[in-house]
Amino acid sequence: MSKNKMVKYIMNLTPLFGLIALFAAFLIIGTIQDINVTYGLKSIVNQSVVVAVVATGAIFIYTLGSFDISLGASTAVSALIGGMVYIKTENLLLMALVCVGVAVLVGLFNSVLASVFNLPVFVTTIAMLSVLNALVLVLISVNGTGSEISVPAAAVKPLNNTVFKIVVLLVFVLLSVFVFCFTKIGRMQKFQGGNPTCAKLSGISEKKMAIIAFAMSGIGVGLGAFLSIIYAPTLTRNTASSVGMDVIIAIVFGGMPVSGGARSKIYAAVIGAFSMTLLGQIMVMFNLNSGIGQMVKAAIFILVVFLATSDQRGKMLPR
Amino acid sequence: MKKFWALLLTAAMTAAVLTGCGNSGSDTGSNAGGAGNEEQAVQSEDSAAADDGANAAADLDMSKTVKMGILVSDATTAEALAFRTYYTEYIQKNYNVELIYSDELTDAAGETSAIDTFITNNCKAIISFSSFDRAAQIEQCDAAGVYYAVATGTLTDEEYETYKGYEHYVGAIGPSLDVEFETGYNMAKHYLDQGKKNFAIFGGAIPYYTEMHIHRAAGMLTAMVEAGGDGANYQGATDQGAIIGQIFADGEVKTGAIGDINIVGYVGGYDMDDAWFGKCAQMAQTADLEVILAVGNGSDFFGTAISGTDVKIASVDAYASSYSEAMQAGMLDYLAGKFSASIGPIFIATYRAALGSPIRTADGNALALSQGYWVATSAEEFNTYYAVDSSVESPAYTKEMLDTLLTADYAAFESFVSKYSFEEIQGM
Repeated sequence: MSKNKMVKYIMNLTPLFGLIALFAAFLIIGTIQDINVTYGLKSIVNQSVVVAVVATGAIFIYTLGSFDISLGASTAVSALIGGMVYIKTENLLLMALVCVGVAVLVGLFNSVLASVFNLPVFVTTIAMLSVLNALVLVLISVNGTGSEISVPAAAVKPLNNTVFKIVVLLVFVLLSVFVFCFTKIGRMQKFQGGNPTCAKLSGISEKKMAIIAFAMSGIGVGLGAFLSIIYAPTLTRNTASSVGMDVIIAIVFGGMPVSGGARSKIYAAVIGAFSMTLLGQIMVMFNLNSGIGQMVKAAIFILVVFLATSDQRGKMLPR
Repeated sequence: MKKFWALLLTAAMTAAVLTGCGNSGSDTGSNAGGAGNEEQAVQSEDSAAADDGANAAADLDMSKTVKMGILVSDATTAEALAFRTYYTEYIQKNYNVELIYSDELTDAAGETSAIDTFITNNCKAIISFSSFDRAAQIEQCDAAGVYYAVATGTLTDEEYETYKGYEHYVGAIGPSLDVEFETGYNMAKHYLDQGKKNFAIFGGAIPYYTEMHIHRAAGMLTAMVEAGGDGANYQGATDQGAIIGQIFADGEVKTGAIGDINIVGYVGGYDMDDAWFGKCAQMAQTADLEVILAVGNGSDFFGTAISGTDVKIASVDAYASSYSEAMQAGMLDYLAGKFSASIGPIFIATYRAALGSPIRTADGNALALSQGYWVATSAEEFNTYYAVDSSVESPAYTKEMLDTLLTADYAAFESFVSKYSFEEIQGM
């Protein structure tokens, strides 16, 4: 391996090194400050897993060089409908299936709408964001007290453990890796994202790729909604409100090029989600107020992304 | 090759996380570097001290810094800032405590995450200003052996019955729902006694079914029913319970006549978009309107619109400099405000619990004490209250006053909290 190739390879792994460094910092600072490290690790998983799952699915959309701004709202709607189904049926499996089903339907609706009107998919997701946010209010107001939809905590308690959450994440990541790296769908998506004109001339259907990407993203959103209910079974109009933005940050933090294409990495979502949470935990250890903490986080975020994309600048494929 | 490395690294990372996060069932109280034993020892001491009751308070060891987490769902309003200033600028400087604030929480998941983070950071207690899911907060803290207290407000009767016996639930001190009702009643009566007939109501979080706002509005409507003459009623309801039920059923306050009294306008919610601000402006300019009664902050939303008119605004909020300006400019006429030091007693109760001397009722239950508001009806009165409330050298509840609670029994503690009026506190 030539020196240049080695440097490029190492730079490509910067987000992973960043995650390892943050993990080490968490352990070292935590030990010095005598924090409860074991509980902290559980807490990190709890706080990361929803974003990690949703972001992993969203990688398929980002690979196409597009993005979905409605992921948080879609998670909320899926969770609310799933919660309502549980309240009616008291069936956890059905709740999970409904969460995934609703999220996939929303994703497919997004992609089909974009196809019908021949619009960039991110445009339809902007419209969908408003629709879904309104739907959240409607769902809450027509159900129960009008302020929340509450799944009994005792019902989801058996699943509210670290192992179950990791298993769900692992299964979905492995499925995504398989589709992304070991099937021609992944290759076509990267091709489509890297050079849509060339991909079209090669016979790759833009619409088909969009539908597959949104379907995969929908599965992630649905699982994220299910995990959200397990973690906090009281659902309000603000449920998952931060997920949309967190997913974008996690994906970029994990080293995913925002332009998509051949350099897309399926593992970026997991790395980014866990890095963000670790960074947040470290800020709390220093008891930085949220303003300063946010600024420090932003600075570290820019540094990691700068290093991770240093081999990409000026080398964009024509689009 | 690249794919292989990507897969390997993802698997390795996941495996590392799994390894680190195993042993999920019984590791709550443990800690790295042997600190878990220390924590268990502290908890054992806590239990022993609880048995000893108030006698143990005299032996409080305050030499070690106690970490406490503060959950906040609001970090920007006048009330939230006043509370924060009191804790960070006065309490933290006068007691050996480190207060860690959460980010501004927006949902129950955020509360759970923040509590997880506090527990990770060895917080011995958590004081909560956030109420998306109180029950989950109490359960989570109790399971982790961390003391939990509600900073302002109270639990519902049903919740209190469920959690009053939890060892790590310290309790709640704040306006009860009866006090909230009374606050709205007194506000409306203040103007009804002046002969005002035409009112508009700002319903705040009524559309979100926030109980304290519903009770305040019900208090206003009850006062109007009483003043409205023979046969006056609100949507057929004439008493407190029926009016509260009617608001819950509607999710809003209906406009119309209550006998001789008229509700000429209503706006609810906090949409904060152009359409909502438009509705606010429209309501403030309703013909014949005399008074806007707000269940929360009214002057910020209606002050400009009523400027230069005779319309009065009455609010429920906190003592902040912006309200002083609003009162002097005629944009605020009446304020029922929380005083920032009102959260002093719950801090002491929580601090005592963390030090091993929790205070409980005679039956051994958690605290459920009610406090009320300071009411200012003029700029002068407001400034008198505000001067005390905003002081970080000599606030309403000073260290000397709060120190008496460190060794107080339940009766003395309850008596202290019940004397919340400005005059009573100044007389302490």
